[in-house]
Amino acid sequence: MIRYAYFPGCASESTALSTTLANNFVFGRIGIDLVEIKDWNCCGATSAHTLSEPLGLALPARSLAWAEKNLPELDVVTGCASCYARLKLTNYRVRQDESARYMVEKIIEAPYEAKREVYNFLDILSPADVRGRIEEQIVRRFKNLKAACYYGCLNIRPAEVTGAKDRENPQAMDELARLTGAEPVDWGFKTECCGAAHQNDAAFETRPLARRILENARACGADVILTACPMCQLNLEMRQAEYARKRKDEKRGKASFPLLDVVLPPPEKETIPVLSITELLALSMGAGSGRLRLDVHHVPVSGVLSKGFRDENESEVMI
Amino acid sequence: MTDQETLQELMDKADVRQYDCYQCGKCSGGCPMADAMDLKPRGVMRCAQVGSLNRILNSNTIWLCTGCYACVDRCPHDVNVPALIEEARYEAARRGIWRRDSEVLNKVFVANLKMFGRNHEMVLAGLYNVLALKPAQDAQSVPHMMSKKLIGIRPHSIKENGELAKLIERAESWDKLASAPQEVKK
Repeated sequence: MIRYAYFPGCASESTALSTTLANNFVFGRIGIDLVEIKDWNCCGATSAHTLSEPLGLALPARSLAWAEKNLPELDVVTGCASCYARLKLTNYRVRQDESARYMVEKIIEAPYEAKREVYNFLDILSPADVRGRIEEQIVRRFKNLKAACYYGCLNIRPAEVTGAKDRENPQAMDELARLTGAEPVDWGFKTECCGAAHQNDAAFETRPLARRILENARACGADVILTACPMCQLNLEMRQAEYARKRKDEKRGKASFPLLDVVLPPPEKETIPVLSITELLALSMGAGSGRLRLDVHHVPVSGVLSKGFRDENESEVMI
Repeated sequence: MTDQETLQELMDKADVRQYDCYQCGKCSGGCPMADAMDLKPRGVMRCAQVGSLNRILNSNTIWLCTGCYACVDRCPHDVNVPALIEEARYEAARRGIWRRDSEVLNKVFVANLKMFGRNHEMVLAGLYNVLALKPAQDAQSVPHMMSKKLIGIRPHSIKENGELAKLIERAESWDKLASAPQEVKK
């Protein structure tokens, strides 16, 4: 049994419902035990370190210090790229800089030495033995499903903190997707920022970032975008109706009423489903779409499911 | 302290040296937010080289940088532009220079954490939309998310949220605490 201290992140309790269900399913199947950090608090995301450095380091340190004290033999894992970046950076700074450690310990009023590592899901799913376990659990494989693997910026960078080797064309998620029978496409925006950090306070400025990613994925022939972060996932998915309307408006040369998106969803060919990598693995391991609550996605995922599956004997299976 | 000295101090904290940048422009070329910035990452470095601190502090760049680190990654000299931008943002805040929407969001976010310890989406987005005078922003997604119970008005607070609020206050007043170390030791 592999065990990790688990930092779920705020999105796991709300917008990332289906991803959370898929995480539980997948990690249960492959025998990885995620021990939730008790009473964990928000990592501070973009806002805390935007306002002040001490706050940006102290918020993640509180949860990490609890894990270090109560689960001393476990490394920490989180499923969100934003949490990962903040936790990992805190770890890194506390190790590198004695004054940062002094500051953090004073603020959280607890000792914290950053003894253990911080990982993201891609890190812990990629080792050969874990891949072997995943392969054992896979009962059906996708048919003709072209997937654009979107890693997001913070799972990969800054390289001096994350230690990522390939920052422009990483392969960890592509290899996991291949296990499910999906065919990863070559595309240009694997580690481009989607702008989720400023989706509220600079909405107008960040919309093009997500739009470029979606349009490049579609242009490269992808049927689905795979993510490893609930913030990327929400940001890429939530406003596709808005982007479809804007594309139409740009063609027509005049604006239509924004709230029309609610009653008039865009045609399916105008959108692209976005799934997390664990949702794809869970589907392939036999979880049904009802169990995974795939209905909570903003963009219907029926396009992915209608591609169908094949079992070991290459015969079609229904879900 | 003159602006020149302040700028040098920010650069030292960010571990960025003027002479490392030879203005090749890879940072601006790869920056996803460059379109919206009035001073692009290369411009930030140029201003640092010529000592134009005010131009940096008054740019929207320091508020729009998403911290994706594409610029550092591609920089032939590993110049850490986002670190300099971050230090500049703290300095701007110290001088009371804010981009309004960023100020509203970030302060609402931290107030949210003080109350609940975790990010409560309805409170965050609701308060932001009201205070930033953007009532309709992302409103089209609300019916879906509420009907699927992804977001709701139910508060979900951590157990030690009182402790956490105190932690946040200590962090916010750290500059004062650090300058009086004998007080901290008590």
